[in-house]
Amino acid sequence: MTVMDKPKRANGPKDPLAGDIIDCDIHSVLPGGLKTVFPYLDRATRQRLETKGVGVGHSALSPRLAVPNGGHAIRPDARTPDGGPGGSDPDYIVEDLIEPHGIRAAVCTCIQAGALATVLAGPDESVALCRAFNDYHLEEWKLKDAGAIRYAAVVPVQIPEEAAKEIERIGDEPGVAAIFMPLLNIPMGNRHYHPIYAAAQEKGLPILLHVTGTENVYHGSPVIAGGWPESYAERYCSLSQVGEANLISLVFSGVLERFPELKVLFVEFGCSWVLPTMWRMDKAWRGVRFDVPWVKRSPIDYVNEHVKLSTQPLDEPADPAQLKSLVELIGDHLLCFATDYPHWDNDMPGQSLRMLSDDSRRRIFVENAQGILRL
Amino acid sequence: MDARADQSTTDLGPLEEFPEGAFRVMRVGKREIGVYRSSSGEVFAIANFCPHRGAPLCKGPVGGTLIPSEPGELVYGMDGDVVRCPWHGYEFSLHTGECLFTGQRMRAKTYPVSVEDGRVRVSGIKSGEKK
Repeated sequence: MTVMDKPKRANGPKDPLAGDIIDCDIHSVLPGGLKTVFPYLDRATRQRLETKGVGVGHSALSPRLAVPNGGHAIRPDARTPDGGPGGSDPDYIVEDLIEPHGIRAAVCTCIQAGALATVLAGPDESVALCRAFNDYHLEEWKLKDAGAIRYAAVVPVQIPEEAAKEIERIGDEPGVAAIFMPLLNIPMGNRHYHPIYAAAQEKGLPILLHVTGTENVYHGSPVIAGGWPESYAERYCSLSQVGEANLISLVFSGVLERFPELKVLFVEFGCSWVLPTMWRMDKAWRGVRFDVPWVKRSPIDYVNEHVKLSTQPLDEPADPAQLKSLVELIGDHLLCFATDYPHWDNDMPGQSLRMLSDDSRRRIFVENAQGILRL
Repeated sequence: MDARADQSTTDLGPLEEFPEGAFRVMRVGKREIGVYRSSSGEVFAIANFCPHRGAPLCKGPVGGTLIPSEPGELVYGMDGDVVRCPWHGYEFSLHTGECLFTGQRMRAKTYPVSVEDGRVRVSGIKSGEKK
């Protein structure tokens, strides 16, 4: 029998939609942290950060909540051939994920940049850093053009007027598919964010929400309800609360009346929770509509017209038929497939939602993303 | 190759070519396996395929784990007998392939290994078997 070393590694089954799949969530990882983007910073900001001796690497989590996987969420098997962490080399993302899984386009969000933008950097620092992270990705990852990797450009959310300027500055680049708005501990409906929504709407770009890893750890980040988690597992399972709270805020605040073309993609908050949330919002609206009189239609209508959610992390009931029922109840028009590569809890296309019909899968894996992202 | 040869043991090479404390991933027939040599001298062979979602299991770390315990208590055990999947973190016994402590009735495929005359041999792999 033939025995050989270093075979092509296992990569999961091929998906019938291979070649067309849109992946709404992959991550770039800069091993040098913010030092990697120093060449893209103005001299003064660089001086300020250098004197602080700072560098944000993989994780912003303290030991209490650290990922029980060496402290970071990155798959150990996604290391690049030259030993860098998974997600640190765009060519290897293509080789390891995009080509073998038949992904036509994958949207890259830099969580390190998001964490800096929301709380880890000061407001003025964050303005310079967002520009630098965006320029770094557009130049060095060659994301200006609409290739296999598209870019969710990060904005300095602490100063919304500056965030709007950043959208104006880079929003016409063909490779920019969305605006990554890392959330503060201010719900989405708050007027704080209005300049960002106006600028995104003007450019025809959706707002992409994604966890930043700072939630419930740092002052200023979204706080999870019920108190401080005591482990990574507790925190991980509570993160969907941030998505739920913000969807409710988005709908009842009237933001979607003020910005009628605004689109919002909730990424990595999961999706199972959206069904009872829509039902509850609809019932509450019918009962206390006059509390929020600017909400002129059922909350479910606003969600259907303005919002989509990434499937990842998919829940895994023991009976897959239950997940099928859940997707049917939510509606396959609301969901967009995402891998979350190179993170440990990623979902690969060939193994995800295979119990759905071909038409339903095509909506979730291809068409819905085309309808909300600027691809 | 005849049917009897399919069932026979396969010589994987001299023991010294299997580094201690690391997986060596090999293709044997149509099977992709990881061969792991522990510091105590045991050699294991396990399919490089996680039965949960097909991840390359042998890219995960090998060690012990915190075995089920009382609330507030930490009990380390199974030193050197646990491989943890690099994707979703499921743990498997290197001895049995059993998925550990989750109530999931699935196993990673394991293969008997012997070391004879300084050579590592694996058995139970059929040449026509697909992964």
